[in-house]
Parts: sequence; structure tokens; C-alpha cells
Amino acid sequence: MSKIITAENLQLAYNKDEPVIKNTNFSVEAKDFIFLKGKSGSGKSTFLKSLYGELPVSSGKLNVCGFDMESISRGKLNLLRKHIGVIFQDYKLINEWSVEKNVMLPLMIAGYSKQVCQMQAHKLLKHVKLSHKIHKYPLELSGGEQQRVAMARALAHNPVLIIADEPTGNLDDYSSEVIWNLLKSVRQHVGSTIVVATHRIPQTLGIDYKQYFLDEGNIYAVA
Amino acid sequence: MKEISMQSLKNHFSFIIPLFILLFSIQFSTMLDRAVKNYESRLAGEYTIVVVSKRPITPQELRRTLPQLKEVQELSKERYIARLQKKISKSDLVFLKANLPHFYSIRLKKLPSSDELAEITRKLKRMQGIVKVETYKKSFNKFHQFLTLSKTASFTFTLFIGIISILLIIKQMEIWTLQHSQRMYIMGLFGAPYWMKSATLYKSVVIDALVAALLVGIVFLLIPNSANFASIYQDLGINLRNFHFLSDVGRLLFIGLAISIIAVTVIIIKNRQR
Repeated sequence: MSKIITAENLQLAYNKDEPVIKNTNFSVEAKDFIFLKGKSGSGKSTFLKSLYGELPVSSGKLNVCGFDMESISRGKLNLLRKHIGVIFQDYKLINEWSVEKNVMLPLMIAGYSKQVCQMQAHKLLKHVKLSHKIHKYPLELSGGEQQRVAMARALAHNPVLIIADEPTGNLDDYSSEVIWNLLKSVRQHVGSTIVVATHRIPQTLGIDYKQYFLDEGNIYAVA
Repeated sequence: MKEISMQSLKNHFSFIIPLFILLFSIQFSTMLDRAVKNYESRLAGEYTIVVVSKRPITPQELRRTLPQLKEVQELSKERYIARLQKKISKSDLVFLKANLPHFYSIRLKKLPSSDELAEITRKLKRMQGIVKVETYKKSFNKFHQFLTLSKTASFTFTLFIGIISILLIIKQMEIWTLQHSQRMYIMGLFGAPYWMKSATLYKSVVIDALVAALLVGIVFLLIPNSANFASIYQDLGINLRNFHFLSDVGRLLFIGLAISIIAVTVIIIKNRQR
């Protein structure tokens, strides 16, 4: 199987003297379902940020979907991001846009026609059980509903890699279940690679997955 | 969402109002300039310099000295001599006829400034045979000072309003960019290129510039038809009906777009560097 993420002696830092991730080696195979665990402040979000280029590599090597992150240009970063779906802990929805337009965003960026974008958005909103809220705005939805919209947006363009940062952290059981089911379904039907940072792994996931643990700036595989 | 729509409307007005004021002052200044030029050309048509010469002067000679000469006309002496015929003796009349100088009335292509008039007088006096140059300087100066004052006042007004409006536009742009920065950041996380992230801002300013230019156009279409204005300017002999809707609104739209697009671009670049 080909590797979709490779990190060699990777170091990540917000402040040069205090690295959050220290000389870590890590790799993810295509179509893997990965859970990254670790206590708060262990660097889970920091590591995920480096995968979609929001945090530059301090030293070492990081390759994501064939792009070398330590020397990636603005244009190539945009290209990489078109193949990644990100689910953020704080949703990051555009409040001035309707739910439908938020979900259409990655498709609009990819250059699909409005009709195609709308069709795909409707399909995904049906999957996350929000068809009836299509014309609402994010601030009119509950936290769980907003996260389901963010989920639909992350999956809209059938990304090669899905990165989720605490996707069910603040959600009720129903919304959590909808999100895990959808991630399972995407992995099965689309074949996307999924990397999830979370505190708790659902008991009844029903698929194979790998677990990694972040501690003291290092990533360890959990047997 | 009602709140978002209200906010968006407020944002548009906060941009349209200073842009409208700026375009209005530019158009006002242009119209005043046109009216003054129109007034000047009318005055130039009416304004004459009288030259007294001991010898006949040809128009070619005068044109060589004064390139701004429009026409020259010799004033007939016969009329004045005829008036004196019954009052003085025949021999005196013959003497007078032989010694009476030549009078010329000179019109210029455009109304000269005070300095230009002094220069014209100097040049004419240097010509051989010319003994007197009458420029009616006092009345000329009165008109000219009025026109110069109008132009200066209009220019100062436009400059002052222009600076204030541009500062207001830049302030509004900064507010917009802050409001749009979260959206632009999220779009960037999904790989949106620069033009797509900024498209909403550019679209907004294009629409607002169009609205502001059209509003100014409508106001200037209505002003000359207002009874009060029309009678005042008619009394002063100033033509206010010199507004050309299509070309003037087109020019205002171009100015509005240029100012807005430059302001948006500068602020986006500034934000990117931060």
C-alpha cells in the first residue's frame, strides 16, 4: 500500500525554543483509519495543522499526499488543500453563508458548476440529516448541527485525506453517532484516508483502525 | 438572516456615502470649471483692447507680435471727423485728418490673466508707432478676479472633500477586511485562490461604485432643473446645463472604481502581510 503521510524527524513549534512535536517519525497508509489520542496540550491539533499546511514544518521532513510540506509553495498548498477535507473542533463555518453554500465551498473552489455543487450539497446534507436546514445560517443551528454541516463540507469533494480535530468533542450522542457513521461510510465507499484526533474512541465503531498516542512531543503506536 | 442583511446594507451605505460625496465634489468642481470656462469664452468674445498708432498697422504685423490675437479691426475716423465738421474750420479739419492717429480694436482668442495682459500691453507698446494701449484694466480685473476666486474655491473645496472621503473609504475598507478576514481564512483552508477569496470584496465595491456614480448623475440631472438654481445662474449668465449624463457618469464610475479597487487591493495586501 502507498503511504499518504510520511514524517521523518519532524519537529513542529510555535516558538522556536519550545517544540510541540519533537523529532517524530510517523506514517499513514492510504485508506487507513487513524486515531490520534493524547491529553489536552499534547500536540494533536498542532500535528493536524501541519498536515494541511497551517503550521510550517520547523525541521525534518513531512510529506502529505505527495507534497513536501517543508518547501511547499502557496499554489501547491492550495492544490493540496483541494484534496483534503478538514473538520475543525470549532466548525469554522462561514456565518454569512447559508448551510447549503457552506457545504458547496470545496466544490466551488474545485470549479464545479453551481448545479453540481447544489446536487452534491443536498445529497450530503441528507446524509447528515440536515436537509430541512438547507437554507438556514450557521448561527441559527445548534453546535451538533453546525458540526454536521462542517462534516458535510469536509466530505463534499470526496477528499483523498480527511483530517478531523475532535469532531465529536462537544457533541450530543445523536450528532456523534451521525458523524462516526458518516466517516465509516466514506472510508468504505470513497476509500479516503482518515486521521482523527480525539479523546475517546467510540465503542461500537465496527471497522479496523489504528491508534497512536501523543506524549511529550512524540507519537507512539498503540498495539 | 435579518441581522446579516441589515449589517450588509449598513456596510454598503458606509461605503457608498463617502464615495458619493467624493464623486459629487469632483463633478461639482468639473461643472463649475466648465461654467467658468464658458463664462470666460463669453467674456473673451466681448473683451477688446484699443490701440492708438501714429502709423497704419497690418493684422499680420500684430499677429506676429501677439499669437493670441483673434481679430483686429480699424476703427473708422470718419465718424468722429464728421461730428467736428461744423465746429472747426476747414483748414483745421484738413490738419486734423492728416494728423489723427489710427485706432484699432483688438480681440483675443481667450481671456488673458492679469500677467498676460501686462505682457500684451508691453509687447504692443514696443511696436513702432503705437502711442497708447487701452486695456480697460479695472473692469477686466474685476471679472478676472471673480473667475479666479471661483476656480480656487472650487478646487480647494474638492481637495478638502476628496481627502476626507478617501480617509472614510479607507477606514470602511479596513472594517470590511476585518469582517471578511474570517471568511477569507476559511476559504483559504480549503484551497481557494487569492482572487476567489477577495471576489466578494471586489464585487461589493464595483456595485457600490456604480450606485454612487449613478446617484451623482441623477443629482446633477436634477439640479439645473431646480427653479431656484436655474434663475440664480441665469442671472449670472452661467450655463449650468453642461452635464453630459453618459460621458460624465462613465467618468465618475471610472474614478470611483479606480479609487475603490486600489483601496481594496492595498488593504488586502496589508492584511496578508500581517
